[in-house]
Amino acid sequence: MNETEFLTQVRLNQGIIYKLVGLYANDAEEKKDIYQEVLLNAWKGWPAFREEAKFSTWLYRICLNTIFTLKRKKQHIDYKDSLEPLSPAVEHSGIQKEDLQRLQQAIRFLSETDRAIISMHLDGFENGEIAGVLGISNNNVAVKLHRCKVQLSNLLMQKL
Amino acid sequence: MSLEQDWKQINEGSDDDLSSLLRPGQLNKLHSLSPLQKIKRHLFINMCWSIAVALLYIVIMVEFPLWPVLLTIGITQAFTIWAIYTAWHQYKNIAPFAGNSLSLLAEMERHYYGMNKWIKLQKKVAIIIYPISATGGYMIGGIVGSGKTIEQFFSKPIVIIALALVILILVPCCVYLTKWMFNKSFGKHLAALKKNIEELKAEK
Repeated sequence: MNETEFLTQVRLNQGIIYKLVGLYANDAEEKKDIYQEVLLNAWKGWPAFREEAKFSTWLYRICLNTIFTLKRKKQHIDYKDSLEPLSPAVEHSGIQKEDLQRLQQAIRFLSETDRAIISMHLDGFENGEIAGVLGISNNNVAVKLHRCKVQLSNLLMQKL
Repeated sequence: MSLEQDWKQINEGSDDDLSSLLRPGQLNKLHSLSPLQKIKRHLFINMCWSIAVALLYIVIMVEFPLWPVLLTIGITQAFTIWAIYTAWHQYKNIAPFAGNSLSLLAEMERHYYGMNKWIKLQKKVAIIIYPISATGGYMIGGIVGSGKTIEQFFSKPIVIIALALVILILVPCCVYLTKWMFNKSFGKHLAALKKNIEELKAEK
């Protein structure tokens, strides 16, 4: 197993982990636990990784499977306070920090499964790919995605 | 800027906690916090204790070769061996990490049913073993404490009534305690898994 190669791949795609964990972790301690578990699962699964799938898709699947099956704390109601600050890299990327935080907050208002669907959609995954990662039908993805979009645009129109 | 573009910008993100884990040599120091991994560890500890208890039963049977003691401890011993075998079987079958080929729904179901199976097994063991071991413990305590033979000890009806009371009170208490401990340890997590499984399966 080549640790260097694995770490290079993960570093290139660490934004996926950072972003998804940020949608589900309730505090800094929980975030660290999830990071650790995601990396451990990815490292264990690395020998079986075939380059038939993109590394980013593979990592996405690991992140979601880990987040949903790890014992987490009860979800807080106050999403604003529980939201971690955005990383400096994001803050300096040229877009409004407030816009990103509003988007992140709005997504966190959705149910846990809806958060997975909308984040995959926003990352450019096709409905078929989302269905494959989540284990549900294409139709079901389409129905849920439509509902998520409506909810999300309503949330973004409101002042969070 | 569109939502998609905004969202993709977060791909640039990272933080110190994540970066610190991505240093060479860190990966092999990580340990799993997965509930299934915890269950696997509990099963291993349970097996060790059960083996110790089984050995203790042998000592008791040698020290107190009275037929009622031999009978109750013998039955308890048989159940203990069955419990060790079942625990071993489950220990082998629990895979905290199932590769990365499963979908999210399949992975959540695997965790949910894996945990429930273990909880059911422990409850079953509790209901079957506690009454017998309580009887065995009561008899040994009674005989040793009073210095009487088993026939003399059970000659008074009050002793039999007290035994019935011990079973009636102690066993439900132990079973309830087992349930409470499982709920305390995994109840919320199981409820969250169930909710997410149902939510994902729901067509509407």
